[in-house]
Amino acid sequence: MKTTGPTTTKTAGVSRRTLLKGTAAVAGAAVGSGAITGFPTIWAQNIKNVTLRQFGTGVSNLNAVAEKVKEDLGFTLQMTALDSDAVAQRAVTQPKSYDIADIEYWICKKVFPAGVMQPMDVSKIKNFNKIVPIFVSGKLTPDSKIAQGTAPHTVGFVEGKDSTKFAKETTQWMTLIPTIYNADTLGIRPDLVGRPIANWKDLLDPAFKGKASILNIPSIGIMDAAMVCESMGEIKYGDKGNMTKEEIDKTLKIMTDAKKAGQFRAFWKTFDESVNLMASGEVIIQSMWSPAVAAVRAKGIPCVYQPLAEGYRAWGGGLGLAKHLSGLELEAAYEYINWYLSGWVGAYLNRQGYYSAVLDTAKEHMSPAEWAFWMEGKPAAEDIKNPDGKVMEKAGAVRDGGSFADRMGRVACWNAVMDEDRYMVRKWNEFIAA
Amino acid sequence: MKTGERRPVSFYLLAAFFGLFVLFLYGPIVTIGILSFQGPNGGLTFPMNGVSLHWFGNLFERQAVGDFGGSFTRSILLGFIVMGITVVVSLAAGFAFRRPFPGSKALFYLTVASLIVPSVLVSLGIGLMFNIAGIEPNWYSSALGAHLTWTLPFGLLIMFAVFNRFNRAFEEAARDLGATPWQTVRHVVVPIILPSLIGIALFGFTLSYDEFARTLMTAGSFNTLPLEIYGMTTNVTTPVLYALGTVTTVFSFVVIGLAVGGVLLIGRRRSRHGSDAGKGV
Amino acid sequence: MTATADTAAAPAAKPAARRRRGGTGWWVSWLQVAPLAVILTVFLVLPIAAIVTVSFWDYDSVRIIPDFVLTNYEELFGSTVTWRIYLNTLKYVALTWTLTLLIGFTVAWFLAFHVRSVTWQMVLFLVCTIPFWTSNIIRMISWIPFLGRNGLLNSSLLSMGVIDAPLEFLLFSDFSVVLAYVHLYTLFMVVPIFNTMMRIDRSLVEAARDAGANGFQILTSVILPLTKPGIAIGSIFVVTQVMGDFITVRLMSGGQSASVGLMMANEISLLQYPAAAANAVILLLVVLLMVAAMLRVVDIRKEL
Repeated sequence: MKTTGPTTTKTAGVSRRTLLKGTAAVAGAAVGSGAITGFPTIWAQNIKNVTLRQFGTGVSNLNAVAEKVKEDLGFTLQMTALDSDAVAQRAVTQPKSYDIADIEYWICKKVFPAGVMQPMDVSKIKNFNKIVPIFVSGKLTPDSKIAQGTAPHTVGFVEGKDSTKFAKETTQWMTLIPTIYNADTLGIRPDLVGRPIANWKDLLDPAFKGKASILNIPSIGIMDAAMVCESMGEIKYGDKGNMTKEEIDKTLKIMTDAKKAGQFRAFWKTFDESVNLMASGEVIIQSMWSPAVAAVRAKGIPCVYQPLAEGYRAWGGGLGLAKHLSGLELEAAYEYINWYLSGWVGAYLNRQGYYSAVLDTAKEHMSPAEWAFWMEGKPAAEDIKNPDGKVMEKAGAVRDGGSFADRMGRVACWNAVMDEDRYMVRKWNEFIAA
Repeated sequence: MKTGERRPVSFYLLAAFFGLFVLFLYGPIVTIGILSFQGPNGGLTFPMNGVSLHWFGNLFERQAVGDFGGSFTRSILLGFIVMGITVVVSLAAGFAFRRPFPGSKALFYLTVASLIVPSVLVSLGIGLMFNIAGIEPNWYSSALGAHLTWTLPFGLLIMFAVFNRFNRAFEEAARDLGATPWQTVRHVVVPIILPSLIGIALFGFTLSYDEFARTLMTAGSFNTLPLEIYGMTTNVTTPVLYALGTVTTVFSFVVIGLAVGGVLLIGRRRSRHGSDAGKGV
Repeated sequence: MTATADTAAAPAAKPAARRRRGGTGWWVSWLQVAPLAVILTVFLVLPIAAIVTVSFWDYDSVRIIPDFVLTNYEELFGSTVTWRIYLNTLKYVALTWTLTLLIGFTVAWFLAFHVRSVTWQMVLFLVCTIPFWTSNIIRMISWIPFLGRNGLLNSSLLSMGVIDAPLEFLLFSDFSVVLAYVHLYTLFMVVPIFNTMMRIDRSLVEAARDAGANGFQILTSVILPLTKPGIAIGSIFVVTQVMGDFITVRLMSGGQSASVGLMMANEISLLQYPAAAANAVILLLVVLLMVAAMLRVVDIRKEL
């Protein structure tokens, strides 16, 4: 279990995995009660008095997780859901107000250097070697290309225990343990757009005047805009994830012109807004998250998560530890993180249409039919239910965008914090005010 | 006031205008009311997807994200604390401002400033201050302070309005009859201005209970209700929010109905006992 | 409060005995306002001092750096967008002020002069207050199904045959922003105007009527001048609220319009605190100037 380096080659992964399974089994058997989840409950008694405070957006701050933690691990996890703006603020300015931060990787790029968090020792993370390699080496498969933007692995490790400097390669010190991630694309109302949608540039098609929308979080919205401009052939970017001032200007010029022409109905900022815009018919084409599409569809309204020729814009979030954590609380936090990767949460998140960090363990908690539908892009063998037991998709349905490899393998860029961040935000404000 | 003349045409025109105004105020409430009866698969917008009481029941169940119970308790508690402090502090200050004292003008302008400084600025400032000082913000410390900068000016202004038209003869009469200052306040002044104090209390509670911007950067680890609801919109929200709105409205009607009934009852008893208390307002 | 103040002031009472005849010593006044002064100092003066300080600090994308630089102000004034956003905000202020004033005055007039029992006035006020007990965030969300393409208003108008196609400007527009402001702040206008109207001596109205003035003349030459203070106070409420708002603009314009507050909120969310602080300082100055101008019309303390 003292492995530190990532395993990028398949064969090594498999063999080590087998080995790990063996160790876990032995450890489990030795301690007894923890065998089901594979966790030794060394701290069994006093850990129950621990309370950990976690905050993040509502996307992953699920009450069901806190309940399950209480059940499996015995300690209390207090969840506070915030909007995405407040998340970054709280992480940096109120570091004592939380124990565990659930933040996105691009926010991590801003938060971690502020010295308010501590990296995690990967030798204490049991499933570290099974974490999807996107978060370790940046490559989904050994030969995949690393996408532009703030790719998670670039801010995934720091140089040492007390360092706040991001490491260029994998080290023993990980900043965030990935929780959920996904590839975003355009969501459409197939009943209202009236034609096939194949490219990001369709967002600015005058046919959808007054019925389009994009995300109004600068670090994310700019990437949507870049995907659109590149697709239109208007701009050729050196690196979308790290634009020059001229590229920012040009991109936002195109968007501003579209805005002035009345292309956009609204810009959305929270998950819920995107759902309401789409469900109410205010907007018929917009950049959207997969579960938001599912939420619209759950209301009986047709909505499609539309794969596009240029690929996806991806995002990911993870759990980080507050600097002040130590002793028993720190142990509890590690135990929580190990539990998080042990499968139950992974399955829960996968069932909502997100992806989880360790796929193998999640698979163990999903039915073969669920796994085939959500992860392999196969037609549903039976009705697919959401975590609350409501039917989401009827038998025979196929997931938009296909399998995990199809989606995450075609990521064109990640949400990004650029070197010209300060300039970009000013320009974005201009765009909004235009 | 009681001239007993017949109502002019303008009365009906104005009454109609007032009716429209009330209708306008209740526009969103009506929408909320209708949509809170959405079917179990319905969303926050039209079309209706069936009709049910599902979301009222759901209000008392665990939500996917967020915690109504905890945040509601915090908001109510905070509202009451703000209310109490606002009433006591503005009453005391109201007494002081009846006489000139050195610094009264500066303090008065500071209070007015407190009213006009934009909420988001107060929030940012308090957040920054706690951050620089290294103190952990909390809803019962920093957020409480942020709310007070909003409710105290209201309280004080109402006190000004009250004391500007307060007849000092009542106090002098009490003093001539040998009452101590405390007795004068307790048995003469406070009963007369009681309705205004209730007004301040209501104002204080309402302003605090619904305050968003000022709490945003000052709440600390745990959310108040408005923040919690806003946080909940980062995941799929359901018509349970509307159910909450409908329940709040119905509950408010009941409370206010009872309060008005109570006031009427007291008024009737007072008039029977021939007291003139309450007429000063 | 007074009791404790008195006992505390007791040692100082003897020398101040003469002053005590007319009222009480300054000490008592100071003790009475002490809580107010302390709260405002800690939660208003110090935070504003913090903002002013930070507005001169430097920052990079991750932290704020204590320093003394003017770049935050330079960037603020150097950008045309600042001016445009201020103009846009002032446009909202002007529209909202006009509408709240017209509506607020009319409503207050009705309540003060046509509703004759105090109880009824109270009841009607409470009826107006109840919608505000439902969280503003919920009310904002509910404007979408009310004003949207398939919303309550559009579908009612459609079914009544007033319009043939849904009115798009109802939502996510300047119209909806101002509408929401009017909805939120008219009551702030009604209350002070109502308050001053109640102080108008009714015999003045009678006298004007006896002198042959018609309703309109009474309104313009008796009531309006006498309610000026109330109008000024209400205006201060409305103007300052709209100047500093960000959430209404964001939600009601569908994120498509900006206001000064929203610009600040954006900067705050990206941890650009010094920039936000510089913005805040300027906003504060603008608001203070506007209020100072309004205070020239009215002495708040006397007129309440």
